[in-house]
Amino acid sequence: MDFRISADQQALIDGIRDFLGAEHGVETVRQLDGNPRPEALRRKLVEMGLPALLVPEADGGLGLDLVTGALVAMELGRACVADPVADTALIAAPWLASHPAVAGDWLARIAAGDALVALAHPANPWVADLDLADALIGGGGVKDVPPAPAAIASVDPLRRLFATPAVAADDRLLDLGVLMTAGQLIGLADTMLKMAVDYATQRRQFGQPIGSFQAVKHHLATAAVRIEFAKPVLLRAAQAQQDGLATAAFHVSHAKLAATDAAIATAETAIQVHGAMGYTYEVDLHFWMKRSWALAGAWGDRNFHLRRISAGVTGGTLPIGPSNTFTPD
Amino acid sequence: MDIGYTAEQQAFRAEVRAWLKANLPEGPLVTLECEEGFHQHVAWERKLASGNWGMVTWPVDYGGRGLDLIQWLIFEEEYWAAGAPLRANQNGIFLLGPTIMEFGTDEQKARFLPPMARGEVIWAQAWSEPNAGSDMAAITARATRDGDHYVLSGQKTWSSRAAFADWGFGLFRTDPESSRHKGLSFILFDLNSPGVTRRPIRQLHGDPGFAELFFDDVRVPVANRIAGEGEGWNVAMATAGFERGLMLRSPGRFQATAARLVALFNQHRDSLAPAVEEAVTQAWMDAQAYAYNTYAVASRIMAGGHIGAEASLNKIFWSELDRAMHRTAMQILGAGAELRQLGDGAVNSWLDGYIFSLSGPIYAGSNEIQRNIIAERLLGLPR
Repeated sequence: MDFRISADQQALIDGIRDFLGAEHGVETVRQLDGNPRPEALRRKLVEMGLPALLVPEADGGLGLDLVTGALVAMELGRACVADPVADTALIAAPWLASHPAVAGDWLARIAAGDALVALAHPANPWVADLDLADALIGGGGVKDVPPAPAAIASVDPLRRLFATPAVAADDRLLDLGVLMTAGQLIGLADTMLKMAVDYATQRRQFGQPIGSFQAVKHHLATAAVRIEFAKPVLLRAAQAQQDGLATAAFHVSHAKLAATDAAIATAETAIQVHGAMGYTYEVDLHFWMKRSWALAGAWGDRNFHLRRISAGVTGGTLPIGPSNTFTPD
Repeated sequence: MDIGYTAEQQAFRAEVRAWLKANLPEGPLVTLECEEGFHQHVAWERKLASGNWGMVTWPVDYGGRGLDLIQWLIFEEEYWAAGAPLRANQNGIFLLGPTIMEFGTDEQKARFLPPMARGEVIWAQAWSEPNAGSDMAAITARATRDGDHYVLSGQKTWSSRAAFADWGFGLFRTDPESSRHKGLSFILFDLNSPGVTRRPIRQLHGDPGFAELFFDDVRVPVANRIAGEGEGWNVAMATAGFERGLMLRSPGRFQATAARLVALFNQHRDSLAPAVEEAVTQAWMDAQAYAYNTYAVASRIMAGGHIGAEASLNKIFWSELDRAMHRTAMQILGAGAELRQLGDGAVNSWLDGYIFSLSGPIYAGSNEIQRNIIAERLLGLPR
């Protein structure tokens, strides 16, 4: 038992955070708004090593685990990355690795940064970035990409969504999508809290920074509590899924709920702390807030995940109580 | 990350479970907050000590088992899963004990720790004063040096367990010229010393869970001071860190409450609104989140890390979780929630628990103070 991320994992996410801080800052996010996704930006994410992280070593990747993947998802959320290479790296790659019969050479192509894979699941009434995809995973297999219909507008100006024919459910794909979405939501929340703290430190009223007022402090502290207690849930869910535990679905649902609740509450807190500035398109907070709203409903909304956990907790299929913190271990 | 237990850890869990099964008192004890219940709980402390379960993480020389924090968590999980009683000596074993371990002399460790682990001396804490509550640095109770003694004078209040306990610990102003955080010393005193007057205070439930203490020239040996004269504030902050941080509220307690809440929900589920199932599910989720976080903190400490201001995150989380769980239980019980005894004559422990849960966001540093600490020390907002 050791509930810590490793020094290697810490070094990796520190490196990614530094890289994205330099290459995917608010200027980049603003530039993406209303413009096509630039190939050059994707090349940078490939150069950072993102697509190869979760691809098995035999296919030219680094063979890292889902805990590492979830940590990377947090960093992508922190930087508000919207490029489809993220879903390809964190969801498609581990799905393909667990489906060798249908994986073909897609893993090697992903690792090389040559393929984008879109994801279809009945939990989502749309597919993201279908028009850029080289392959489509859905219904338990890898499919050709159908012609992309007109894009559907999302509240998030950086998301590009497309309606597609219905596919059958796929639990592995769902749980990977849920886990990585939860990771992004926590990263988004971290950034929104930081933006609000920075604003409250700079903005002065009544002759002092508004962040010196307890009313503001307490709002921000409450957000910090929610975020900090979502993080270990994410790690536990990632490890449970990595270990293939029978109860993993409950834990990824728990992570999604904790992350969603943290992100939505932090978004509301952050806009409140920004005051009227927060209600404008001028302040960058809105990109992170809108991504949070979008991801809150993606890969199963709150109702879906709450019902899934409730069935386990009150329905008796999930061992509960103090002796079962990590059951089955 | 490794979220599996070793064979040794699993064997330890089985050992704890077996001992508790064989030794738990039959039926619930009377509340710890009244004299009869206090003595029942002290008897239980001594029973635990007889099995060498008083404080498993302490060194063997001081009456412990020398176990690590993961084993402590396993012990606590089994303890609360078994429905074992509250710990009458929690002020001693969870707060003062670690403080003496960190700041005490070898002589003080040998003198105070073993009787604490054996449940022979029950400790009360004495921080607050009538005009020093959240603003603890406003303490005015004095310890005046007189040769190799201090003479204590002044008043303490909200002193947990002081109605019935044996000894107390707290902060006293040893430098009469000092103000605020300076000039305070951390002093241990026998509650039966001449000059100590205890005035029990009835708590919300009607029993005297805490007391006022009056000191009229109480003589205490200088050897009862922990750390240097005037260094009391730092020692007290370390104690508060243990309290809010890891030890005082182990996750097993809340996981047990969540599990009981699920059982209560299932007894009544046909008559409940859907929002109740959500609240019950949230209780399980939050209790689990608290457990994971505690494992994470324990793992970090075992690897040489520390718990600092993030202890304030914990304190807010568990205290607000506990209140929410008991509020949900009261909602499930509906018209029966107000009854002191349930249909089978047993004490309505949900009502008692709800009342107790209301103190959680207040004691050990109110949650407003905790939010200030988070905002200033973790988020870096201006003071």
